[in-house]
Amino acid sequence: MKIVACIKAVPEEQDIVVKSDYSLSFERAELKVGQYDLNAVEAGVQLGEAIGDSETIIATVGTTKLKNSKLQKSMLSRGASQLFAVVDDSLESVDSYATAKNLAAVIKQIGDVDLVLCGEGSSDIYSQQVGAMLGQLLRCVSLNAVSKITPKDGNLLIERTLEEEIEVLEIQLPAVLSVTTDINTARIPGMKEILAAGKKPATLWGASDVEIISTSCTEIISTLAPPPADRMKIIYEGDSEENINALLENLRKVM
Amino acid sequence: MSKLEKVFVIAEKNESIKELCSGAAQLGEKTGLIWAGKKGAATKADTVYYLGELSNERILEHYVPTIVNLVKTEKPNLVIVEASKKGRLIAGILAAEMGTSVLTDAAEITVDDSAVITKRMVYGGAAFRTERSNAEVVVVCTGAGVFEAAETSAAGAVVEVPFIASSFEIKCVEKRVKPGETVNLRAAKKIVAVGRGFSAREDLQLAEKLAAVIGAEVGCSRPIAEEEKWMVKARYIGVSGLMLKPDLYVGIGISGQIQHMVGVSSARTIVAINSDKNAPIFRQCDYGLVGDLKVVLPSLIEKLSK
Repeated sequence: MKIVACIKAVPEEQDIVVKSDYSLSFERAELKVGQYDLNAVEAGVQLGEAIGDSETIIATVGTTKLKNSKLQKSMLSRGASQLFAVVDDSLESVDSYATAKNLAAVIKQIGDVDLVLCGEGSSDIYSQQVGAMLGQLLRCVSLNAVSKITPKDGNLLIERTLEEEIEVLEIQLPAVLSVTTDINTARIPGMKEILAAGKKPATLWGASDVEIISTSCTEIISTLAPPPADRMKIIYEGDSEENINALLENLRKVM
Repeated sequence: MSKLEKVFVIAEKNESIKELCSGAAQLGEKTGLIWAGKKGAATKADTVYYLGELSNERILEHYVPTIVNLVKTEKPNLVIVEASKKGRLIAGILAAEMGTSVLTDAAEITVDDSAVITKRMVYGGAAFRTERSNAEVVVVCTGAGVFEAAETSAAGAVVEVPFIASSFEIKCVEKRVKPGETVNLRAAKKIVAVGRGFSAREDLQLAEKLAAVIGAEVGCSRPIAEEEKWMVKARYIGVSGLMLKPDLYVGIGISGQIQHMVGVSSARTIVAINSDKNAPIFRQCDYGLVGDLKVVLPSLIEKLSK
């Protein structure tokens, strides 16, 4: 089975700095593999092992920052065989429709893909939309919230964890599935895997190789950290009876 | 605020209909509700587009081609989709078909001429993003708590929509009740949240007791759900998109890390109890008490139970 796991390279959230005008600075934030995409890669590798004679390929789209070899090794050290990417600086912060369109173009160019796996959402913007859109754009089964995948006579038996119930579905391939964060525990690559990842093929296409779109249909007006809320900040220091009573009195007032 | 001509709602759950349709009525002159399930359950819009019953033979996903076709024919200016798992899927498929993106997890929705502007949390709560869509059909995904559930005077003419079969096979083998508890923090008016300040799992019952006497739902910070696994993930506050608007939030042993606090920043009153007087939550609360939760909570519970 030919499986594609989609990855988004996202900024390391701990290194995003809020500036004095409440805008965000990403200058010090290096790109890393989106946290929830790790589950998609792991699900692909595990399914491939269960079926046999399979490979899991990484697909990603983004800016020329994807050329970073450490980032590529991080993508390829988790059981996938190779990497395909479209890299163009016009793809900086494009919206989910453009991302889904571009991933669809990459997947079509890879060719003969049976199953596409996405994470629950990207760990930076977390719209949880690309997987759903991608299925529709590729004209195949499109499902989210997938918490278990089992092969069944050429089809897949999947479980979806919804708000109140588990839904078990049998689906035909090809399909695009977005997996939950608890479908598996993604492996942590060791030194050996990271070194081996450096030798795996990585194919980077440019805008002239694949038909991509770099215009978003939604316009970002602003991305701002919330200013500190104006709160009363009445603090009682110490857990004396008197202080507890004072807190209680205020609590009663607001209930 | 200007109004759109036609606003549709796609609701999955019965209890969301009223709120989402009230929102549609605020944003649009004419409202439509697309609904599958119990007939007659949906009456809160000018027009109810009834898809049919739900069963194992026909799950909501089977109605997707019907929904897509209906939206393409009726061309509402805006479709508000419930932000449930199934709702998100439908929103994505619908938007892809219409050649646009979904404005997801909108915490605020406004109309400016023919454009729709939404505000949502991004980067795990570090920031709010304001986005604008001018698409012919704008698709927005949103959850409980964004609109007030007002009584609408909508007449609710029911249009039965003919079924269009999907071209690919999805067979529902089984549906079973999800093991464990179901929690809806979004709907809670009062929230008691627990954090790292709880050093032992058995102490959590103190927070649960306090929640019980004041009628609150219990939430938690990331470490309690993801590291200690003392609580289910549905109770974890600080996930992108989970914006809560309770009347009262009581954070106990919560340090006040940014993602968590953004999630509750819209609470009317924030109360903090923490033994560390330098905890950032004390700079973001209305009332705070620096003290040992094992002293404070039993005392509060006793006094409130009287």
